[in-house]
Amino acid sequence: MERRTFIELLGAGTLLVPPLACKLRGPIAAGPTNLNGIPTTCELCPNKCSLLAVVKEGRLAKLNPNPENPKSRAMLCARGNAAIQQVYDPDRLKQPLIRAGERGEGKWRPVSWDEAFDFAANKLKAVKEKHGPEGSLWSSTEGFQEVFFKNLGQAFGSPNVMRHPTLCLASMTLAYSTTFGTVPSFDLLNADYVIMAGANRFESIITPDTMDLIGGTMERKAKLIYLDPRFTVTASKADEWHPIKPGTDLAFILAMLNVILTEERHDKAFVETYTLGFEQLLEHVKPYTPAWAEKETEIPAADITRIARAFADAAPRAVFYAGRRSSWYTNDFQMRRAQAILNAVVGNWDREGGMVPNRKVAKGEFTFMPWDDPKASRVDEVEKAFPLANAKDGVYLPLRENVLKGTPYPVKAWMIYKQDPMHALPDQGKTLEMIQQMDFVGVVDIAMSDTAWYADVVFPESHYLERTDPIEVMPGIWPAAVYRQQAVKPLHDTKPMLDIAQGLAKRLGLSDYFDYTIEQWVEAEAKELPVPNGMEHMRKHGVVGFEKPKYGTTRNAVHRFVTKSGKIELFSERLQEAGHDPLPVYTAPAQPPANKFRLILGRKATITHAALTNLPWLHEHNRENDLWIHPEPAARLNIQTGDLLEVSSTAGTVKIKARVTPEIRPDCVFMLHGFGKKSAWLRRVHNVGAADSILLETAWDKVSGNAALHETFVKVGKA
Amino acid sequence: MRSLRLIPLGLWALLLLLGASVQAGEAKGSDTKGKFFFKKSCKACHMDGGSAKALTPLSKTQAQWRKFFDAGKHKGEALSPKLGTPAQLLDIKTFLINHASDSPQPETCGG
Repeated sequence: MERRTFIELLGAGTLLVPPLACKLRGPIAAGPTNLNGIPTTCELCPNKCSLLAVVKEGRLAKLNPNPENPKSRAMLCARGNAAIQQVYDPDRLKQPLIRAGERGEGKWRPVSWDEAFDFAANKLKAVKEKHGPEGSLWSSTEGFQEVFFKNLGQAFGSPNVMRHPTLCLASMTLAYSTTFGTVPSFDLLNADYVIMAGANRFESIITPDTMDLIGGTMERKAKLIYLDPRFTVTASKADEWHPIKPGTDLAFILAMLNVILTEERHDKAFVETYTLGFEQLLEHVKPYTPAWAEKETEIPAADITRIARAFADAAPRAVFYAGRRSSWYTNDFQMRRAQAILNAVVGNWDREGGMVPNRKVAKGEFTFMPWDDPKASRVDEVEKAFPLANAKDGVYLPLRENVLKGTPYPVKAWMIYKQDPMHALPDQGKTLEMIQQMDFVGVVDIAMSDTAWYADVVFPESHYLERTDPIEVMPGIWPAAVYRQQAVKPLHDTKPMLDIAQGLAKRLGLSDYFDYTIEQWVEAEAKELPVPNGMEHMRKHGVVGFEKPKYGTTRNAVHRFVTKSGKIELFSERLQEAGHDPLPVYTAPAQPPANKFRLILGRKATITHAALTNLPWLHEHNRENDLWIHPEPAARLNIQTGDLLEVSSTAGTVKIKARVTPEIRPDCVFMLHGFGKKSAWLRRVHNVGAADSILLETAWDKVSGNAALHETFVKVGKA
Repeated sequence: MRSLRLIPLGLWALLLLLGASVQAGEAKGSDTKGKFFFKKSCKACHMDGGSAKALTPLSKTQAQWRKFFDAGKHKGEALSPKLGTPAQLLDIKTFLINHASDSPQPETCGG
């Protein structure tokens, strides 16, 4: 199908991408149809898709997609649909609990909210008195009420408010920010040539990228080149799959740059106008020939050369896709930097079908006089060890190392919101050691996660379908502001995070920072939405979005990029000043010894986070994880599918069943995340399969501090 | 004003190395409170659809923000007391310089 025909079909209202069928310009001001259900926003993963909750007689009957969101469009995935079961799951936390036995013993005493608040506040005060506010750690993952948890930690005076990005995408965001001053989106709807390296976008769903990739490759016949040691669903739909040697993506990209620059296939006018450091880059990539890269990547030089030429020819409608979870190797930042540079030199910046700087939807803010800045520096010493990383987010693994050593000072209280560090961090043994050395551990969650299982007090949070949250802006090519409103009354004795923060704040003398309701907070945000009667609009529609993409707004002579020089920095002085390579330098990764394998990880549509494996509908698709191993080593080790294996690394040992498959390189093994739970209250996955976090060793990217989760070698044998 | 001698030598080295949020001899206020006062005092007019051009820390470089505060004038009038007390203006200046368009921390990861 021709692009024009496809766009016309979209304009005519195909079911593929319904929002584009709307003829409105600017903000979407009203819904196209009668919205059957309560508009709210999914929370099962970071995508935050809009949905309509159908409620009958006070119970959730169905969740439907809300087509008014230009980002999630008329799509709600399997994970999103499974949220109903989360509400009615008998494994949910139903009331506050205080530990009655040893940590991890599973003995709990149900208590009132007052008793839980008093208990936690007294413990926090005791730690503060002995070690100062910096003796407390407040860690969380993303969520609309995360702001209240973070605020409580900051108001308490702790510098150790720890967010999740260094377990996720910090190396990618830092690499693109260092180069462009911002993190762009990739216009997969309009790209003609897409390279994805390990971003398994057909299985690990990101909206709108997954839908756009389907539209682009399946309908519009855009070219998809896919690099991955595993034959994934994305590989099966790609035009080319190259089972690249793990850890060598940077060599592939540098060789592409070598071809494009030495053959002068780059966008000369764009490079001249908008970038800094081209001459240094040209000299830098000369040794990185395709013949050299073939030896590193095991991808034929002829293929690398052909792909580089085709990529440059297709530009600006060509993208080397950034990926999202970028916690792979210790050189991850430099690999993502090379991606960013490759994209820059072909001039796909801010063009249709290229990379597009994100737009945002304006919203208001509930403001109040904040607390004093903390007096102590952070325990992870991020400013000293990772001066370019986001200091407010922190660096998780170096933090754990310092807490275990007790340097630069002791941390003895750990509050955790909506996160399961026992699975989110590599080396579960170390995380458990960190928990055990705490005087106090408090967890806020909707289910008894493995971390909650080892806590002293567990605060049950209301499910997202039972509460109202702040308005959140989702930046992108099709940005949206989304609203999460209560669809049903809380089923159990649970509270939203704001109420939990208020309960603790009252006892900690911090009520001045929480003297408002969620309604007041949201109304302040809604006041500045780009629609009339913002609050009323959100209650009726749940979303404000921009339907029309804008291209080229930063392609003008006066635009200053948010970098040190104001240009797109191919060569980075700031990196050089901080002691890092100003241009990406390749170092060959260590290879597993003959009797070992590299453990690699990945996601699929029905499992992204460890918290999802216990949900019945998702569990039906993933009853137990297994270890993918290639037939060649399997034969050598006399392993057959279904055999119980013992897999060990320097961090730990697990038992897991074998899946013998040619869909993985012989030097790697693969397993899904989120199984082998210790918590007996997660009945479907308690002691079922194995936890990757037990095997993964501690390693991080040198520049961003991002966890490096593909640096572990394991020994595999029959149990 | 915070005594400059109280800033450890290692921190000085780091700040200089990074092209630094705070220059030698420059007083430092509260980043957190600066954000609040900036929104309260400046964003009331300097917002999209407001009576003046929208402003964020990214609207200027660190040097440009310094120049603005060194001049100490807003529409020909002294910044203080019109836009805040001297302490509040120091907080605003700290916030804006720390997150200026050429600063080391201009943008966060978000979700």
